[in-house]
Amino acid sequence: MIGPVAKTLLLALPGLSFLVVFLFMPLVSIVIFSFWRTESYELIADWNIDNYATLFSDVTYLTFLVRSLVMATAVTLTSLLYAWPVAYLIAKHGGRYRLVLILLTAAPFLTGEILRVTALQQILGPIGLINMALGHFGLAPIRALMYSNVASWIGLTYLWMPFMVLAIYLSLLNFDFQLMEVAKVNGARVWRAFFEVAWPLNMAGTVIGCVLVFIPTLGSSLTSQFLGGPNGALYGNILAHQFGATGTWAFGSAMGVLLFAVSLAVTLVLARAVRDFRRAGITIKEG
Amino acid sequence: MRQTVFGLQVVMLIGLYLFLYAPIFYIIYVSFQTNNIWPFPPDFSLHHYQSLLGLRDFHAALFNSVIIGGATAVLSALFATMAAIGVLRYRTRWRATVAGLYLAPLFIAHILIGIASLIFNKSVLGLPGNLGSAVIANATYATAFAFLIVLAQLARYDWRLDEAAMVFGASPVGTFREVTLPLIWPSVLGAAIVSFLMAFNNLEVTFYQVGATPTLPTLAWGELRHGISEELYALTSLINGAVFLLLAMLYGLLRSGVLRVEYRD
Repeated sequence: MIGPVAKTLLLALPGLSFLVVFLFMPLVSIVIFSFWRTESYELIADWNIDNYATLFSDVTYLTFLVRSLVMATAVTLTSLLYAWPVAYLIAKHGGRYRLVLILLTAAPFLTGEILRVTALQQILGPIGLINMALGHFGLAPIRALMYSNVASWIGLTYLWMPFMVLAIYLSLLNFDFQLMEVAKVNGARVWRAFFEVAWPLNMAGTVIGCVLVFIPTLGSSLTSQFLGGPNGALYGNILAHQFGATGTWAFGSAMGVLLFAVSLAVTLVLARAVRDFRRAGITIKEG
Repeated sequence: MRQTVFGLQVVMLIGLYLFLYAPIFYIIYVSFQTNNIWPFPPDFSLHHYQSLLGLRDFHAALFNSVIIGGATAVLSALFATMAAIGVLRYRTRWRATVAGLYLAPLFIAHILIGIASLIFNKSVLGLPGNLGSAVIANATYATAFAFLIVLAQLARYDWRLDEAAMVFGASPVGTFREVTLPLIWPSVLGAAIVSFLMAFNNLEVTFYQVGATPTLPTLAWGELRHGISEELYALTSLINGAVFLLLAMLYGLLRSGVLRVEYRD
């Protein structure tokens, strides 16, 4: 007979080996390749830190990184502010329709980024529904919607907000709403009850939601490529470019490592907001 | 005050659905129109769909996307189900670590998975980019999503059923086939469907793996660079329609009890 530990590991082993070989090792490999150089589309094992030197000394790359950071922060905050009331409503008052209501927010995600961006372009672009309608009624078009950072911001919020709603909703499923009533009976007003009870007890859901929105937005390239216009390129576009026409894989690896490091740093900072995941609403039910 | 907050929340929920679905329903509407830019009053036509069928590579792309989605779904659902059982059934101190590793891909940007797999496959493993490497790269993040779904569903499963079967002499494999699987398969199917759709529609990971092999998302990407082409209206509408039909069917089957999920509450 083999013990329970061995059984857990045995059942997890096929997937874990798969993830190690095809995800974790590739990620480690780009760290190594980031210290190499590229010559006519080939990686050369010639150890140096030139890629990082360029990355940190050339203002261009840092500008794109800052732009992506600002964009990711804006998209995360928008999603956070909008998702909380919505998730709260579904979790508390959804009743038997809870599952349908939450699935409806998540379903569009499954059609994939490119088709969702296509659908958005038909609404936002210069010949999109909004500006065509404005023109039809003799009004001036909204320039901000056509190929701009505002359009990218709307697009990225459109793409990733469902994750925020879902994360907060899942956390609220384990939240006892009677605690809010207790706070109110004891004299707290609605907002105070919210910020002293519901908010801290669901911090983990909020943080997971923020990370799940922030990370893909920080690395995004498609939305800005199709909605952002000439001045809308983000870090992800420049990163993708290294693997396209220029073929500078070693430099691209360094850009990838920087992206990963920034994502990880943001995740860790946000995770500090949740000291104890169990108290903050994450529980695995005992079965 | 209370009424106002509740009213505002309802308005925000309706607003979210409008925001999410208006672009989808509008493009489906336009896909049946003659005039793409200002299709009012409506003038129905199927010419977008005709041009999609006439698009070079469309059939190959559809076939390749189905292969990528299908193979990814099988791999992800298999890995995820095994791991979820391992984590939930045997309550060892390793379970948090195992769960953490399985969920880690959720926190990695797709573009990183795409480029890291591209470089690793080519420079370390010496694998050419093809459908196989696309399946492998897509299965990484899809396994994480599948694991999350199966884990959430199985958290309420009563493992005493399995123990009972074992007491009556069933082998571990027999127990799984006769007791566990019949009860948990709707969750496994749900995880497989979500994995299929994510891999089928993925561009950011697939793009770096397939080279010149067409898939529907890479085809769409190529078209979109020149603005929304006629074919793209039809393609976007068809895929959106198929996704919602699939999800509605799954939901309907679960609701009507044809696929019954019976757990102890």
